Amino acid sequence: MLDLRNLTKRFGKGDSAVTALHEVSFSITEGEFFTLLGPSGCGKTTLLRLIAGFEPPTSGALVLDGRDIAHTPPNRRPVNTVFQNYALFPHLTVAENVGFALGAQGRPKVEIAETVTRMLDLVQLSHLAQRKSGELSGGQQQRVALARALAPKPRILLLDEPLSALDMKLRKEMQVELKRLQQETGLTFIFVTHDQEEALTMSDRIAVMGGGRIQQIASPRELYDQPANRFVAGFIGETNFLAATCAAGRLILPQAATTLPVAHADGPVTLMVRPEHVVLAGAQPDALTLTAQVDRLVYFGTDTHVHLHLADGCTLVARVQNGLRGGLPCRQGETIPVSLPGDALHLLPQEAG
Amino acid sequence: MADRAFDTRRLPGAATLAIACFAILYLPMVILVANSFNEGRVIGQWEGLSLHWYGKALQNEAFVAAAKTSLILATLAAMIATITATMAALATTRTRGFKGEGAIHITLNQPIMVPEIVLAIALLIIIAQIKQATGYSGLGYLVIAHSAFCIPFAYMPIRARLEGMDLTLETAAADLYASRFYAFRKVTLPLLAPAILAGFMLAFVISLDDVVISDFLKSPGQDTLPTYLLGELKRNLTSEIYAISSLLLLISVLIVGGSWLLTRKKT
Ligand SMILES: Nc1ncnc2c1ncn2[C@@H]1O[C@H](COP(=O)(O)OP(=O)(O)OP(=O)(O)O)[C@@H](O)[C@H]1O
Ligand SMILES: [Mg+2]
Repeated sequence: MLDLRNLTKRFGKGDSAVTALHEVSFSITEGEFFTLLGPSGCGKTTLLRLIAGFEPPTSGALVLDGRDIAHTPPNRRPVNTVFQNYALFPHLTVAENVGFALGAQGRPKVEIAETVTRMLDLVQLSHLAQRKSGELSGGQQQRVALARALAPKPRILLLDEPLSALDMKLRKEMQVELKRLQQETGLTFIFVTHDQEEALTMSDRIAVMGGGRIQQIASPRELYDQPANRFVAGFIGETNFLAATCAAGRLILPQAATTLPVAHADGPVTLMVRPEHVVLAGAQPDALTLTAQVDRLVYFGTDTHVHLHLADGCTLVARVQNGLRGGLPCRQGETIPVSLPGDALHLLPQEAG
Repeated sequence: MADRAFDTRRLPGAATLAIACFAILYLPMVILVANSFNEGRVIGQWEGLSLHWYGKALQNEAFVAAAKTSLILATLAAMIATITATMAALATTRTRGFKGEGAIHITLNQPIMVPEIVLAIALLIIIAQIKQATGYSGLGYLVIAHSAFCIPFAYMPIRARLEGMDLTLETAAADLYASRFYAFRKVTLPLLAPAILAGFMLAFVISLDDVVISDFLKSPGQDTLPTYLLGELKRNLTSEIYAISSLLLLISVLIVGGSWLLTRKKT
């Protein structure tokens, strides 16, 4: 439905030019909850502004329903935005805000009134219809912004960190509500966040961005289990990285006493293992077995993080669930056997630096 | 909060000086207004409270004519100045920086920097020629001159408001299918309205109050309220002048007060 083809955006000219987006390409399908996730300054807002039409791309095409809209002004794109600071019109009431787009399109009064009522019902704000938008709480403003952007039935709804101004509890509520709204309306959402947990719980697919490039596009589960590179692996969840080698069909970790069969081209690789998969015991079948010393135990409520170091100084973090029978299997300062189960290992190409 | 920085209130003699300044500012005005209600004709000799001089002033045809001229002039000049100032403020804040923007800023604010008497003389030279050439001697010259020197006063509050306005509101309007004109009419203009009105009122008062330029440019027989007062003052000093001055003061205070109320931040 929406195709981004080699979208590039540069700000400034000459030596001071900043390339905010490098050749970004991907497709979004109808009804998808698509998330742009990445650290601050990676170009998420810039990409959203290109899709909304607030900014023209330097090069590339933006094809919506078969038509290139890269240079169509924002008021002629069937795409609406929920702004980070809401950007509600302070001189208008809640109802007038929600009806604004329909008014601008010159729809009949009856239709506007009807749509406004329906939208305010949808976000449960009917009782505040006549309030001025400045007289609302943050959460209420958020809902008005949502209703206002949904009222003209856009093909795609763009949301730029819409929940970042809310406190933790309200944020969780709105996450559920947003997801419900998206499923009820069947609308396509492009959602921007730098919060990985928010991205993982809400999205159908996530595009991880870094340095103005798309690093990987995948479902939340795939992104977590099979990150394409070190950047993605490090950004989503916590991870251990270890340098290893593949040779003659075996995975060799220099610190380990055992090797594992592997289907990977020979050469150096980066081995990735999530802390929750590290087993604090030796002699496991199909695992790499090592010896490590316990540096620190950090208590986290439901689990404890065990910080370890190997003989050559490499560090490793294991996560152990609390409240299991027998308590923690180790104490600070102890030297213990550690296993990395073969099915929990993920190999990444070794990167420079 | 421990030890306060420099506090002018602690300065020896500061209070005395402040009181003296306020006395010089306001006492004469109080005396003027009080005198306007004096029944008698001799100044400084109280003969009882009355509206006698106000009645007299309103029957004075020359005064009424001058007042009418002043009000028409101030209304027209303030209107032209406000429209120009609004467009200028939009051009200098709502467009990407363009070449000569600084020059426009200076040009607009020129009347604040140039001594009024210099401007008046410069205008006189040109307008005298035009008058001679065209034979037209109506209010037009004053309207144009007043409009010009009122622009910066109308421009200031409008520009301040525009600079403080959240640009994402206009972006949001465009996102919600508003054309540029629709967005201006429904979003920018309503948010700007109080500042436009305040600018209009300031310009109105500045025009109403002007003596130097009006006196230089007026055609024979033409008088605005201030030039009329000036003329009367030279001829005969009666308490009627106090009544007229008090009326002028009242209009100014009302309008400036109104504009202050409008620009005051809400909530
Ligand atoms: N108008 C602009 N002019 C110049 N550079 C810009 C402009 N807008 C964005 N940039 C630059 O482009 C890069 C990407 O910015 P962008 O706002 O898209 O980041 P982001 O991913 O949304 O970050 P955040 O999570 O902090 O909102 C940044 O390096 C930023 O400095
Ligand atoms: Mg951003």
